[in-house]
This record gives sequence, structure tokens and C-alpha cells, in this order.
Amino acid sequence: MDAVAISMFLVFVLATLAISYWASRRTLSSQDFYTAGGQITGLQNGTAIAGDFMSAASFLGITGLMFLGGFDGLVLALGAFAAWPLLLFLLARRVRNLGSCTFVDVVSQRLERTRIRVVAAGGTIVVVVLYLIAQMVGAGKLIQLLFGLPYEVAVVAISVLVLAYVTFGGMLATTWVQIIKAILLLTGVTITAFMVMYLSSFSLENLLATAVVQHPRGERILAPGVLFDSPVQVATILVSMLFGTLGLPHILMRLFTVPDMHEAKKSAFYASLFMGYFYLALVIVGFGAVAFVYGNPAFFTAEGQLIGGSNMAAIHLATAVGGNLLTGFMSAVTFATILAVVAGLTVSGAAAISHDLYAEVLCKGAPDARRELQLTRLTTVVIGVIAVVLGILFQNENVAFIATMPMVVAASVNFPILFLSLYWSGLTTRGAIAGALVGLVSSVSLIVVGPQVWVSVLGFERALFPYDYPALFTLPLAVLVMSVVSWLDNSDRAAVDRRNYHSLLVRSEFGESGRPPPVARH
Amino acid sequence: MDNAAKLSVIRARTRRRFVFTLITLLLYFSFILNWTASGDSLAGRLGMSHVTGSLLMFAVLIVTFILLELVFLLLNRATTRSGEEP
Repeated sequence: MDAVAISMFLVFVLATLAISYWASRRTLSSQDFYTAGGQITGLQNGTAIAGDFMSAASFLGITGLMFLGGFDGLVLALGAFAAWPLLLFLLARRVRNLGSCTFVDVVSQRLERTRIRVVAAGGTIVVVVLYLIAQMVGAGKLIQLLFGLPYEVAVVAISVLVLAYVTFGGMLATTWVQIIKAILLLTGVTITAFMVMYLSSFSLENLLATAVVQHPRGERILAPGVLFDSPVQVATILVSMLFGTLGLPHILMRLFTVPDMHEAKKSAFYASLFMGYFYLALVIVGFGAVAFVYGNPAFFTAEGQLIGGSNMAAIHLATAVGGNLLTGFMSAVTFATILAVVAGLTVSGAAAISHDLYAEVLCKGAPDARRELQLTRLTTVVIGVIAVVLGILFQNENVAFIATMPMVVAASVNFPILFLSLYWSGLTTRGAIAGALVGLVSSVSLIVVGPQVWVSVLGFERALFPYDYPALFTLPLAVLVMSVVSWLDNSDRAAVDRRNYHSLLVRSEFGESGRPPPVARH
Repeated sequence: MDNAAKLSVIRARTRRRFVFTLITLLLYFSFILNWTASGDSLAGRLGMSHVTGSLLMFAVLIVTFILLELVFLLLNRATTRSGEEP
């Protein structure tokens, strides 16, 4: 294990544990736990959102894809980025004004609260668990490679650290871990990009020319068509990434950590700014990996494979342009990245169970505050244990499909419920539930019969469905079912749901001051 | 502000939201042109440089999205200050 990486990693762990101790003294209620008391500023929250979203998959995965296929790797970067303007335009104000802890609070304002909370919280838990498995398996393998730790030790270490942050410091500690991680990641990417440009005489032309010479596909890496050859395939990825991000519960939850909707809008803008910079810098890092890693036999096995696979291209690039110091820094940053993302997921999962289900469904919105906080902390520990168990159980599986599922499920279940409940007066509880179930079943089924599971995991020769990311089909299907069932719904509850829309609309735009009498409930 | 005035503000805000959303979605999905025959010209190099139209499009889209957000926030601030919206 590299001494530089260990020292940087230890500094990060000690600093974040100190923050957790500080945050634990300020986390006195469940509201503090879920939303850091709503006292985070727009700039801090925007940085934390960037820290939450720029996962190891973004950094290592997109660089790895560019290493393999050049320009085509940028499809995922654009997909991940474009959700942020839409978050600002469509969701930031209305979601912040209506909710208190989770996006489920928002959708249960006008629909029948018990049933819609169970369904929406179910969607949240499915997304969080799948995202968690993908993160834990990816993290375990990555740390095994980077630090030489056994897989099980790596998974347990991540879980123990995340539990220390979240159980004691709640959202406040999680926010600061994400802020520190975002700053470290942006610094690391900036230094790597700077070194790449330095070695290319600060000329993009030189960098691209070297990359073309080094890559086996030559000039083709500068244009589309190496990894993806069909426009429909690209459309499936773009739809899943865009609308999936808008339905991710741990990202939506961050809108409640700021005091008001002005700060929520600023958060979305700052997050865009940081991520825009990050994805533009990845263009240099990605082509830098092609230019400076391909030609160096030290990074390849005797069989000609990149050591650790294409996901390690970014780390090898750090070694090529910055030696052991930059490699150690980037390894520690990668570890920090994983911890920050898992911490955000854990808070979100805990809130879905203890706030959405226990406090709002079982206790009908009037829980004992102390018991709720105790349950939240207990839930956090249970999620940590589940993450370790699933991480170990799935360690030998191809988890690519598990990484796909949360985005597709979030796009096909969470996003349509949230969007239609905010923008369509005709949505009814029955329609929302029917559409959500169709979205969930269709997205999971199409992923199972798609190439990643049907061919890669189950071993069949040809997939029954040709695309990895089916949200292009499942999202419209879910919206269609929600619309048709709502139109046909003549129940008494449907009339209440439609009547509730007007008061919800006014409150979503004008906040508490424009708050009308409470919406009708059954 | 009475109910009718509130609804009028909401309608204006919603229109603005949908206009910005539509522009974003049109630009976003125009990226697919790179993989179609009608977008062939994008894949070519720009002059003698190694930079292709596709690469330039990626960078321009990212910057445009950020600028759209900035314009949206400034418009919101302007209408709030002028008293058109609370």
C-alpha cells in the first residue's frame, strides 16, 4: 500500500470524524438529522450536491469509457449534467416550498397520504438499496485495487466510517463530508488536467493529436460511433440519465437542507457550475488517459489488458502525469468520493423508513420526537449492515445492471409521480399508484431481459430487449398509465385529489405565506 | 395579493419554466444528431484542427445550460424586484 495514499486517506478520515463529532452536538432532533436543521447555505448545499452526485462512477467510469472509446464516453457526462438545469427550472422552488424532509412529503400533499407514501417510500428504498449495492461492490473492488485491502475488509471499513458520520452527525456531517469531498475531487481533477495540458504544451490540439496516435482506433475516437452506434441506444441513455437524476431521492432531499426556496435555487445553480466545470475538465482527463496511458507498458498486463480494467484509467493517468504523489492523492480522493455518496444514500434510506413510513404513516404524522430520532439512528445502523451483507453477497456478480437499475427506476417511478403531482391537476392517487407500479415492473423486467442480465449474467446468446437503459420506453409508459387511470378514476378520493391541486399550486409557488387552509384528507 | 393575481403570476412563472425546459430538452436531445446521418457533418474536424464538431458541441452545450440557468435566475430576480411577482 502506498504511504502517500495512506497518509492522505488518514488525514481525510480524521478530519471527517472530527466534523461528525462537531455535527453530533448539533443534531438534536429528527429534523436536524434529515435536513441539518435547514441551515445550510446555497453555496454550501450546491457544493454538497456536487459532492453527492460526482460519484466514483462519474469520475472513474467516464474517464474509463473515454479511454476505451473517446468521444462516446461523453454521452454519460452530458446525461448526468443536463438534469441540473431542469432541477432548477421545474423542481427547486415547488419541491422546497412543499416538502420538509423528503420528496415523498411533496407527493403526499394532495394525494391520499398513506397509500402514496407507502408507494413512493417503496420507490425510494428500491432506488437507495440498488444504488448502495452498486456503490459498495464497486467501492470494495476499487479499494482492494488501490490499497491492497481484502474485499471484505474494504466493504466493512466503508460501512463503519459511513455509520460513524451518519449515525452521530446526520445530514450535517454528511453535508460537510460531501463538501470536503467535492473540493478534493475538483482539486484532483484540476491538477490532473493541468498536468496533462502541461505535458501537451498547453495545446488542446497537441493533446488530441497524441491521443489519436496512441489509441488503436486512431482518429475515430474524436467522433461518435466507437462505443455506441445507434441513435436509439444513445437516446435510451440520455433519457435514463436525465430523468433518473431528477428522481434520485438523496439528491431531491438536499433541497430541504437550505432555509428557503431562494437558497434551494442557488444550490441547483452552484451544483451546475461545479459539475459543468468537472465534466469539461473530464474531456481533458479522458483524452489525457488515452494520450499518456496507452503508450506506457507499465500500466498493462502481459496479455495487453489495462491493469485493474478501464475504470483504473484515471488513476493510471495520475501516476503517468504526477507520479506517486498525485496517485496517492487521487486514490484518497476516490475513497472520499465513495464515502460521501454512501453517506448521502444512507441518510436518504433512513429518512424513507423512519420519516416517511414510521412517522408519517404509522404514527399519522405525530410521532414521539425522541423515539423517531432513536429509530432513525437504528435504521441507519441497519442500512449499514445491509450494505455490508449485500456488498459481500454480490461481490462476484456483474453489477453493471445494478448500477443501471436505480437510474431507470427513479426515472420511471419517482420522477413521473413528482412531476405530475406538481404540474397536472388531474392526477389522482389511483393513477399515481398504477403508473408507479407499471413503471417499476416494466423497468426491472426490461433490464432483466436486456443485454446486461439476459446475456452477461444469465448467459443467453441474445437479449430479448436490445437496450441497457429502458427508461426511454418505461417512463412514457408510466406517465401514460398515470394519465389514463387518473382520467378514468371517478372515485370520491379522485375528486378530493383534484380539488387539492389548487391549494397545493398556490403554496408551491408562494410558500408558507400563501398557505391556504389545509388540504382535504380522507 | 388576491387569488386571481396569484394565479396570473403562477401562469407566467409556469410558462417561463416550460420555455426554459423546452429549450434545454431540444438542445439536449439534439446531441443525438451526432449518431445520425443528418449529423455527419458534426463528426468532421474543424478546419485543420483535431477538434471535431461533436466535441465542440459537447462543450458548448454544457456552457449553454449554465448560461440558461443564469438567465433564468436573473429573470426571476428582475420580475421580483420590479414588483411583478412577490
